Amino acid sequence: MAEFLFYALSIAAVLFGIGVISAKQPLMCVLSLLGSFVCLGVIYLLAQFQFMAAAQILVYAGAIMVLFLFVVMLLDLGNVEELKENSMRILGKKRITVAVVVAGGLALTSLLGTRDSMASAGPEPVVVRPDAYDPVAEIATLLFTRYLLAFEAAGLLLVASMVAVMVLAKRQREPLSDQR
Amino acid sequence: MNVPPEHMLVLAAVLFGLGVLGFLLRRNVIVVLASVELLLNAANLSFLAGARMHSGPDGFNLLGPVFAVFVILVAAAEAAVGLAIVIALYRLKQTVHLDQVAELKG
Repeated sequence: MAEFLFYALSIAAVLFGIGVISAKQPLMCVLSLLGSFVCLGVIYLLAQFQFMAAAQILVYAGAIMVLFLFVVMLLDLGNVEELKENSMRILGKKRITVAVVVAGGLALTSLLGTRDSMASAGPEPVVVRPDAYDPVAEIATLLFTRYLLAFEAAGLLLVASMVAVMVLAKRQREPLSDQR
Repeated sequence: MNVPPEHMLVLAAVLFGLGVLGFLLRRNVIVVLASVELLLNAANLSFLAGARMHSGPDGFNLLGPVFAVFVILVAAAEAAVGLAIVIALYRLKQTVHLDQVAELKG
């Protein structure tokens, strides 16, 4: 049952991914992305990464999706988007071929590379016993001990990006310009 | 779930390919940012597949989830800054079409 669910969700995630890159309207693109996130979240749950599933749904399907939807709604892209974007005809065969080859090559390399490198042992694995398995506590312990520096750097990154967003999205005050 | 981790890797690779394709082919900046999110999700899925590959009956590997947490964090920061740039860009040029924003082209 779980296997069937995994494959069904995989197919759904891929279909939503195709929806993301082929959607005509940005809104449909963002909603397809949401579908893909939710499918992946359920896959994480099936693979017993409960914490990651929760983070996926909260951060991706919640926060990031709200940001995307907010921007799409704010900018009223419906009217702007008529213009000749529509990829396939304008872009020309050459560009599409190059893009497909690059994408396929990268995907294949990532697949083979990760498979081979993961087959080896890797950095000393942190393994916990299943009977004492408390994913959140274990992940938190790891974050605050072995990866403390990375964790603090990540916090710094978040603060920096927050400030950057405020600076970027702030309306520029030009005293003599007209009110937009 | 008894799915081999390799199948999760295949799914991750397919999503990664779709993300690269969208990133290269589409010119709407919102779609490009969405493709980047797809790429980061594929990376996350590979991390978790790796963690599954290294957890046996005697224990779970935790390095995968920990790195995935960092990926999610970076994705959040990236989306916030990227979308703020989109808003600033739209205010400046009233467009989200990347071909109309080529000032830095040499």
